Amino acid sequence: MQKDASLDAKGLMCPMPIVKLAKKLKELQIGQVLELIADDPGAKEDVPAWCQRTQNELVETRQEGNVFYFYIRRKV
Amino acid sequence: MVDVKKVAIVVSEGTFDKAMMSLMIANTAASMGMEVHIFHTFFGLKLVTKKANPKAPGMYRLFTGMFKKKMKAVGVEDYSAQKKMAIELGVNMYACGTSMGVMNVTAEDLDPGVKILGAAAFLNIAADTDMQYFIG
Repeated sequence: MQKDASLDAKGLMCPMPIVKLAKKLKELQIGQVLELIADDPGAKEDVPAWCQRTQNELVETRQEGNVFYFYIRRKV
Repeated sequence: MVDVKKVAIVVSEGTFDKAMMSLMIANTAASMGMEVHIFHTFFGLKLVTKKANPKAPGMYRLFTGMFKKKMKAVGVEDYSAQKKMAIELGVNMYACGTSMGVMNVTAEDLDPGVKILGAAAFLNIAADTDMQYFIG
């Protein structure tokens, strides 16, 4: 998956991955893709919910063991 | 954003768990683009003072240090850092004027940016919110 920036939130629990994601995505240009890496089990539901609510696009989700990789395109 | 959701939170306890819960919801909501208003009343008032240092409740008070350490380990910073983050994220913090009188808290004791309100002014804000939480 093509990405413009990456944010490693491994070891962080709710709400920190979301708070950091919101902050980081604002640093990207509209249309760019951020990779978020998280192992908070809640992130699986939290990240899609955040994307839906903020109207950013969750392009792809991948799971390797207990680590999630989210690819989020900044839309707004 | 087309539809900005609004959240009203009332915090009436000043213990560590209540303090963290209110700010974790507030900071997440603010990160989701929501508008957040927190009213601090009764024992919750001391959370918006400069000297705020909430302890775990009751007999758990002795384990406050351990709780803080565990939360820090998962990236959740201590209360003052969460509060600083909330202010950065634009969370609106209010102090209950009546509680200030009862608890001997002056305007100078409050954190910068905290607005003093009465119940009517807060209810006026809460009346236009989509979600209301009471943490007490």
